[in-house]
Amino acid sequence: MKTAYLALVLNAHMPFVRRPEYPRFLEERWFFEAISETYLPLLRAFRSLESDAVPFHLTLSVSPTLAAMLSDKTLGERYMVYLDAQLRLAAAEEDRLRGDSAFEPLAGMYRALYSSDKEDFEGLYGRDILSALDFYYKKGRVELMTSSATHAFLPIFRDCREAVTSQVETAIIAHRKAFGKHPAGFWLPQLGWYPGVAEVLRSYNVQYTVVTTRGAMLGEPTPRCGSFAPVECPSGLVAFIRDAGATKAVWSESTGYPADPVYRDFYRDIGFDLPAEYLKAHLEDPGERIFTGFKYWSVTGRTQEKRPYDPAAAQARAARHAAHFLTERRASAAAAAALMDRPPLMVCPFDAELFGHWWFEGPAFLEALFRQAASAGEPGLTTLGDYLRDFPESQKSVPEFSSWGDGGFAEVWLDGSNDWIYRHVAKAVERMSELAERFPDESGLRERILDQAAREVLLAMCSDWALLMRAGKSASFARRQIEEPIANFGRIYDMLCSNTVSTEWLTRLEKRDNLFPSINYRMFRRKR
Amino acid sequence: MRTDKLDALSLEELYALADKTGLDLPPGLERPFVVEEILEVLEEDSEDRWEAQGEALHIDEKKYSGLRIGDFDEGPGRGDSLASRYNETMIRAIARDPSWAFAYWDVADADIELLRGDDGAAGLFLRIAEIGPPGERNDSQREYFDIPIADNDLQWYINLPRSGVRFRIDLCARRSGHGGKFRVLARSNEVESPRQSLAASAKSLDPGSYELLALSGAEDIPLDDPAEGNPLRILPTGSASPGNRAD
Repeated sequence: MKTAYLALVLNAHMPFVRRPEYPRFLEERWFFEAISETYLPLLRAFRSLESDAVPFHLTLSVSPTLAAMLSDKTLGERYMVYLDAQLRLAAAEEDRLRGDSAFEPLAGMYRALYSSDKEDFEGLYGRDILSALDFYYKKGRVELMTSSATHAFLPIFRDCREAVTSQVETAIIAHRKAFGKHPAGFWLPQLGWYPGVAEVLRSYNVQYTVVTTRGAMLGEPTPRCGSFAPVECPSGLVAFIRDAGATKAVWSESTGYPADPVYRDFYRDIGFDLPAEYLKAHLEDPGERIFTGFKYWSVTGRTQEKRPYDPAAAQARAARHAAHFLTERRASAAAAAALMDRPPLMVCPFDAELFGHWWFEGPAFLEALFRQAASAGEPGLTTLGDYLRDFPESQKSVPEFSSWGDGGFAEVWLDGSNDWIYRHVAKAVERMSELAERFPDESGLRERILDQAAREVLLAMCSDWALLMRAGKSASFARRQIEEPIANFGRIYDMLCSNTVSTEWLTRLEKRDNLFPSINYRMFRRKR
Repeated sequence: MRTDKLDALSLEELYALADKTGLDLPPGLERPFVVEEILEVLEEDSEDRWEAQGEALHIDEKKYSGLRIGDFDEGPGRGDSLASRYNETMIRAIARDPSWAFAYWDVADADIELLRGDDGAAGLFLRIAEIGPPGERNDSQREYFDIPIADNDLQWYINLPRSGVRFRIDLCARRSGHGGKFRVLARSNEVESPRQSLAASAKSLDPGSYELLALSGAEDIPLDDPAEGNPLRILPTGSASPGNRAD
């Protein structure tokens, strides 16, 4: 037995941004960038650890919308087109920077990155990243969790039971379809917890989730071990508690590791630095200035006078930061262990896309952390499921309503910029339940219509759009992502009420919003 | 919208609101000056909240680099605009944080006609009633306060007097000439405002547990709730809601 345990938990998520009706759709780049900069680099780190026989353990939530997009053939083809465009841009950049000792190697670095991505995605994984993750899942290295079907922030729907259960049920069915196993863990989007969600999750045989430090500490009764041990709700669901100190070291935009001057700067991108004419000749979609992914400068400091990026120095710094992170955790665990009757557990949940997309050196940090932890032996790295098997008993407590959003509750997803959403979504859920009650045994075309109606209701519950509205960025796009599924649902509702169906329109909609092929609209029937 | 709300209040109510927002206004000020002072404080409050936003949100946004705002071709669902209401008499409440809840409601046209005609209604109001702590079965009304609303209001943020309690909101119509009687048009779901201090059981924790709480980063969570807030501080939705920022 180790004297302390560390559980890294990553939440991999992208909202559903598939738009096959357009030749190119800019928001699909979010997904492609995440594949290129986060998911494939993480898999390369796993491979490297495996080949060196370094044991590593990680808990990874793959959101159902991300899983749907990762298994989509159209998006797979489009990702290949994206990679080819990135490789062409890399070649152009190498030509442009020929002879520049500081920058030509950086253009070469991007050529190598996108070449590796192409080779891995196409050659190694056969365009199937989910299977690659499943390999480590079955091997016991990575424990996969699921999350709400469309990343709904559940506390806002706590009085709409069918809204919550449909999110949970759809997610679990999608996870089983993708990975062939029932998920033991459930990632609550934005760590959005409320008393009562435990019973819902347990009713679907979910064993554990993660909550914020504050939510757990405000729980009843107060956890005796602070965040160093999970708590168990009366329903039997175990709530692991985020380690606030550990997450801040990585998460903080201003004082966390990613702010180090030697790391690659996220903002300085040739998409904004180079002349429009040059970009127009090389970008796939030259309509407007965008992040291209080609960034040549280091963070340097709070100045526009940036230093050229030095990959070797950045990699070395990532290893040093991993060592610092582990030293801090050992110190924290030692202080806690003296006060506990079991080894302290430190749970560090992060958004996966932090590693690689924003913090370019993030995957290197993680790999170094796994290597150093394995070498030192302490703290022991564990998954949440493995920890539960070793320590099945936990203090009984019910955490308080909480989230990891600003303010700690629902402020981000419920303010003047986005509160209009909930009237419409709640009404759609209510009407969907009404339809499921009225048509409990449909088949054929009517069943197709009802299933599509259920998909549209789920899509409208996505919390990412509320976040973007609150941020004031791309707010009209975000607004449209809510209005569209609500309007689509409304049209289906009217069709069913008037008994007229536009099959052409329905087929087009099914082809576009094609996630959750196994959806069953009857999950919206009122729970009795 | 916000100015409209303030304009609907009497000078006395405006002074009371100013007092609750921390303003110390000299007596006898002209109404426009009182309104202006209140607006300024509310605006500062909104800006402070925006400034105080943590970094997690900003990092989350980075996931969505390459954002654009553009027009789209007509496709499934595109170009449809949503109705602002569903013409039904209802009210729903959502807890936002220990201090604020969001409520939205509607009154069916037919009910409005009835109110205007037979009932002699003298205005709508919300009754926010505390119905006990979470988990308690007794849901009899304990304390309440009322907020007058205009006929065309459809939603408000409501400042809650206490955290860690259950409450519900009734959408009511006052009846003129009936001795202050009113009619409940709709009753909201039950809502719990989250605790913002440690549970009472924390007081019996041993010193070692307190140390573990501190090591967990919970040392800033108070053992007791702060003094009760003002039950009458209300903010209309839209421009004045906390944390709001124009697109």
